[in-house]
Amino acid sequence: MNSSRSLGLMLLTPAIVLVVLFFLVPVALTAVFSFTNMSTATGITGGAYQIGPSSLQRLGDSYGFPELAERLSQPSYVIDERGLTALESAGVDASAITEMRTHLGEVFPTRREAERMIKGLDARPSTREVKQISEQFNRSLLDTRYESEGDLLAGLDALGVEVTPAERDAVAASSYSGWTWTTDNFRRMVSTPDTLRTLINTVFYVAIVLVLFNTGYAMFLAITTYYMPETTGGIFRSIWLLPRITPPVIYVLMWKWLAWDTGFISMFLGQFGVAPKNWMLDSSTNAWVFVILINGFVGASMGMLVFSSALRAIPKSQFYASEVDGASRWQQIRYIILPQMRWPILFVTCYQTLSLLASFDLILLSTEGGPGGATEVWSLMTYHTALNNYAGNLEYGYGTALSLVLVVIGVTLSLIYLRVFNYNALVAKPLIEQ
Amino acid sequence: MRILLDKFSKSFGTTKVIEDLTLEVADGEMLALLGPSGCGKSTTLFAICGIHKVTGGRILFGDRDVTDLPSQARSVGVVFQSYALYPHMTVAENIAFPLQVKKVAPDQIKREVDAIAALVHIENLLGRRPAELSGGQQQRVALARALVRKPDVLLLDEPLANLDAKLRLEMRSEIRRIQLETGITAILVTHDQVEAMSMCDRIAIMNAGEIVQLATPTEMYHNPRTAFVAGFLGNPPIAFLRGTAKDGGFALDNSDIRLPLPAGTLSPADGSKLTLGIRPEDFGPLGDIAIPGKIAFVETQGRENLYDVRLADGSMLRSIQPVRGDIAVGNEVAWSASGAKVMVFGEDGARL
Ligand SMILES: Nc1ncnc2c1ncn2[C@@H]1O[C@H](COP(=O)(O)OP(=O)(O)O)[C@@H](O)[C@H]1O
Ligand SMILES: [Mg+2]
Repeated sequence: MNSSRSLGLMLLTPAIVLVVLFFLVPVALTAVFSFTNMSTATGITGGAYQIGPSSLQRLGDSYGFPELAERLSQPSYVIDERGLTALESAGVDASAITEMRTHLGEVFPTRREAERMIKGLDARPSTREVKQISEQFNRSLLDTRYESEGDLLAGLDALGVEVTPAERDAVAASSYSGWTWTTDNFRRMVSTPDTLRTLINTVFYVAIVLVLFNTGYAMFLAITTYYMPETTGGIFRSIWLLPRITPPVIYVLMWKWLAWDTGFISMFLGQFGVAPKNWMLDSSTNAWVFVILINGFVGASMGMLVFSSALRAIPKSQFYASEVDGASRWQQIRYIILPQMRWPILFVTCYQTLSLLASFDLILLSTEGGPGGATEVWSLMTYHTALNNYAGNLEYGYGTALSLVLVVIGVTLSLIYLRVFNYNALVAKPLIEQ
Repeated sequence: MRILLDKFSKSFGTTKVIEDLTLEVADGEMLALLGPSGCGKSTTLFAICGIHKVTGGRILFGDRDVTDLPSQARSVGVVFQSYALYPHMTVAENIAFPLQVKKVAPDQIKREVDAIAALVHIENLLGRRPAELSGGQQQRVALARALVRKPDVLLLDEPLANLDAKLRLEMRSEIRRIQLETGITAILVTHDQVEAMSMCDRIAIMNAGEIVQLATPTEMYHNPRTAFVAGFLGNPPIAFLRGTAKDGGFALDNSDIRLPLPAGTLSPADGSKLTLGIRPEDFGPLGDIAIPGKIAFVETQGRENLYDVRLADGSMLRSIQPVRGDIAVGNEVAWSASGAKVMVFGEDGARL
């Protein structure tokens, strides 16, 4: 390897490290997590085995062993040495213990039956004592925590439950409280109707904001301010930067103030006898109008700056030349400016598509996806699934599966954009001297 | 078409660049606007094509007053110093642009583009983009684009400044050929006197926003109106000697050299400051006014040598002569100026 090559590699190293740390590793982790069922309930470390109401529910519903689940849900009582020893240390009447020993090895399927036997003892224990004694022989697996699958199965054996190997596996799987590998996330994504609706919302939102504001309006601003006198143009550009530099919470609060039922719109329309209402969350159409305006006004500023500087980079003489060539202002824009804006447009489109896909802060602050999920977009759904939902069970696994979709869409779109804008045609052939 | 600038003025904010400039360019003529950098040549050109609005005065094309017309309505073709080709268009599209915005039919556009491309000899470059062209080729494309819609007037702003010496020589004659073939009225802006003299019918020499002299190249060379004009034209340039008028003659400052004034010069008042201008070709072994000096430098130019001769007062005269081997630096020489060719300028620089 020659020295210039290694110098190049050395200079590239920071970039490579950053790409790996902040792009490749997160993407890889997202892909990994999306194949788990991690949630608040499972935790993100390993779990234990514990048969409980919900695991029995799963055993019956998902694994198809309802009878086994029913059987395991029953408390069962076994008169064994362990129970007798426990009775002694609990200070139960010795004659009662001796009498119980005669029943050694008997199994009662329910508490009632066990207690009937105990009540029938000659020692005549009181009702309180009957309960105390029966408790010592409760050998149900319910709510007992086992650290490993082996312990669980040993417990099952001790109980004398006859199970086939398939049933054993089902019990172990259904009672495992930690996370597991699964492809269910994707199956769930495809089968849930909300997913499609959110997808449509997302496409609509990204397309409209991108075309109307982030590129369209931004280009309009850049071109109009370019033709204005220097200072006037500067003032207009600064005004359009304000939404960007205002803290998002304050910015959205101002919109909310505009839309609240005691806000500006309601107050103003009140003059004409219109009843006050929350204009933002009143209907899904209104919610969309606000979501698009709120994001559009912020998003237009970046395109405006990029396009303005790109415009300034076109030599003045090309404008002069096109004027003496007879081009009207519109023809100048159409034939001289816009064709030379391909790269800035590509850049802004690419960058803004990805940022619109990924960011949901302004929607979260304004409509929170409402009313009734009308403005819920994909990234917000991911947030609601994985990080903040009403039910309280945060589904990290499903959430990362959702965000993996965003990553795939983002990368695909970037490749398509490069294709559409025809990278090769933009790189001029080398100069050939005649 | 004739161009008339009538008391034209232009200022940028408070900076007055041109004041009350009057200039007429005859129909079919090629006129050079010659002057040092920053004297207002481009400003004048941009006013003629309408890129800059004039501050005062009128601009007429033929009898049509175009002062308040936008550039789009003026029918001018302009070749910019940087060529200002549109980088995203092919050569053909660049040339077609003035016709395209006029919504000329495509097949007619094609015909006209082909014709003009043939005129400027770039038929084989039509599919390329400007970035794939050499400087000279870009120059031809710019010329073709300026000419394609047959404008009334062709304006060229330092069209050769960005070319190397060989191309410059080639394009000088090419531009002149094309101008003569099309018979278009043209104004060439340049700071290079060789360009102005070799390409144009007349030269308007400008200094600090004013036209100092307007004449044919020969007339201007042999009969400059001021020391500035004399100094600007000619390569190698004219040499100046500074002195005072004394007894109807010229006394070189800081020396005892006395020279007679050429015949026909109005005798200046005794003691007034004078400047003598002597061109290199008018100073040598054959003149009639002897001026002794010492060779300070010999510049070999191939066919000729240029000798710098230092006089007793420290000022320098130049002499250009066929190559000769008998002279070296440090030699004393007693060469003479041709009295009839010596130019005398007064204190204000005006020719006497
Ligand atoms: N747009 C402008 N604003 C202010 N001053 C200008 C502008 N254009 C030219 N000038 C000034 O006008 C003078 C003449 O400029 P110009 O016509 O470009 O000179 P040149 O003879 O070299 O072409 C210069 O002093 C220049 O600084
Ligand atoms: Mg200039």
